[in-house]
Amino acid sequence: MKVWRSAAAGLAWLFLACAAPPAHAQTLPSDPIEFGAGHVTVGGDVSATFSCATPIELSCGGDVGFFNYTDYAHNALRLFRVDVSAAVKAGPHFTVLSEVRSENISTVQPYALYLRVRPWSSKDFDIQVGRVPPTFGAFLRHSYANDNPLIGYPLAYQYLTTLRPDALPASAEELLKKKSTGWLVRYSVGDPTAQAGVPLVTAFRWDTGVQAHGTVGIVSATAAITTGTVSNPLFKEDNGGRQLATRVEVRPVMGLVVGTSFAHGAFVSQSAARDAVGAEANEHSYAQTAWGGDVEYSHGYYLLRAETIVSAWRLPAAVAPPPRQVSIDDPLAAFSTSFEGRYKVLPRLYVAARFDRLMFSDLADATGISQPWDAPVRRIEVGTGYSLQRNLILKLSYQYNTRDGGVIPTKKAKFGAAQLVYWF
Amino acid sequence: MSRAQRTTGEREEGTRFEIARLIVLALLASAALLSLSSVVLRPLAAAGAAAAARPGAIRGRVELRRPPTPADRRPTVTELGTPAGRDVPDLLRSIVYLESAPRGAFETSDGGHAVMDQRNESFVPHVLAITTGTTVDFPNSDRFYHNVFSLSKIKTFDLGRYAAGHSKSIRFDRAGIVRVFCDIHSHMNAYILVFSHPFFALTEGDGRYRIDNVPPGTYGIIAWNEGTPSETRSVTVPDGGTAEIDFTIR
Repeated sequence: MKVWRSAAAGLAWLFLACAAPPAHAQTLPSDPIEFGAGHVTVGGDVSATFSCATPIELSCGGDVGFFNYTDYAHNALRLFRVDVSAAVKAGPHFTVLSEVRSENISTVQPYALYLRVRPWSSKDFDIQVGRVPPTFGAFLRHSYANDNPLIGYPLAYQYLTTLRPDALPASAEELLKKKSTGWLVRYSVGDPTAQAGVPLVTAFRWDTGVQAHGTVGIVSATAAITTGTVSNPLFKEDNGGRQLATRVEVRPVMGLVVGTSFAHGAFVSQSAARDAVGAEANEHSYAQTAWGGDVEYSHGYYLLRAETIVSAWRLPAAVAPPPRQVSIDDPLAAFSTSFEGRYKVLPRLYVAARFDRLMFSDLADATGISQPWDAPVRRIEVGTGYSLQRNLILKLSYQYNTRDGGVIPTKKAKFGAAQLVYWF
Repeated sequence: MSRAQRTTGEREEGTRFEIARLIVLALLASAALLSLSSVVLRPLAAAGAAAAARPGAIRGRVELRRPPTPADRRPTVTELGTPAGRDVPDLLRSIVYLESAPRGAFETSDGGHAVMDQRNESFVPHVLAITTGTTVDFPNSDRFYHNVFSLSKIKTFDLGRYAAGHSKSIRFDRAGIVRVFCDIHSHMNAYILVFSHPFFALTEGDGRYRIDNVPPGTYGIIAWNEGTPSETRSVTVPDGGTAEIDFTIR
């Protein structure tokens, strides 16, 4: 209820703050704030999102199917978010970049904090150290509300699977019983409390480590070594493992970007792995491996994006699964595909659509029957955006979700959502 | 009546007829002269007067008390590396213009063409002053996409994304201020000031300006820089002479 009120209050606040008549268009400041003789630049993004399950009832139903939850408390379609980012330049070679974020007027959290070093001014090569931007995938480069043409997120970056790094199912049967409960899941091994599962690649936390990026001609390459994984970025190491992530982008013609990403890193926490298989557990081998391919093409008034991500998690096989149950010996895989398009109809108005699919590999129980280890999900979102001002955009969208199976009784959910975005 | 009396009467009648005819002819001639004077003499007189009122000029200097600084990029936290360098726009150029123009200055013209280039992530020039009816070309001289657009009240447009070596154009038919942006690079912005008369000038780098061919008279004049106008000042342009007026903005 508190979240509900926060998002609604945020939306109302943004409307009031921006309720300037058209004659005063472009009056809200759009330039970043500078001080310290231009050494410090501060920018911000504010977005207020509200949604109702459709058909809209008097109570404005929420997401009882938990399709849009980013953790137990946060629904991506009912969110008031404030991001403040800053760049502090210390000469031509060093820049410190940071971002703090508040969701639903709760505590302010550091989202990014890293040092960017450009060793040679004339060469397009940078090293970044700290809580660095994600190497993997394409969507995270345009996940901010003013870059995301729709309101919701692609499933791969938001939908919570039933996997957790700190708690493990003791058997295939236990995992299969939890299908669709990724927003709040509990297992018998590891941390006994109920917590949220992980998405394939999270859009809501950044990893910590070292990253190198360079561009030569039409090719850009990035490599990073970090503490967490793409689905579970960490600030503090919990398993002694490291993740290697790489990304290569090619721009063969203007408007076309083709990218591929790879990441491999220890996923399961040391405590959970030891609970599962004892002190001899090799946490480094219980890893997440992900591959992604993406294409973007734009020209004139349209923009098209497609992205596919395949992720596999290897979990420790329990030494002794419960009677008449089998251990999880093979990696658990998930596949996501997303197609997105945007077309500008008028200078102030665009329309957009995204089709998403998230599928899971089969897992056999003791009877030999195989079924996906989590419930497959489909999502279609269509929407429009209207620029009240250059940096003030009102978005409306309709989202339709379906889930095949799972414990949660809600298999279909439709939402009408509105979002107001302001950036400077 | 005798024959002699009749003859005398006829002569008197003929004389009166001749007099009446002369009067009519005189009236017709007067009317013709009046018409001729309205057609020929008045313009000649006006031409003489115009020749006497020779156009003058206005010149001076615009001083920026606090020169504007170009806005930096938004912090690029999500970028994997340092963004490419860009040209810094020249924000020191101001526009000086007559608030009210002489009669006859509002004749429509096709305005011709002007160019606002997109080069190194900057619009060049940063400020463009044109008359109504002018078509502005927006070539893309960078190796990547730009997307010129404006949501200004007097001209709302969006040229979409187009590649290097290509250009798109927009004709401006209404007077006013148009803010121009790039949809891809948020730090790119420019101004186009559209006037319904030709009495304006862009300042030089040192702030000096000169407006030529201004008919003699007293006018309101304004200096403008980066969205900030000065107070309206009064200037009297002498016959064939030059008026001087300086401005301080901000």
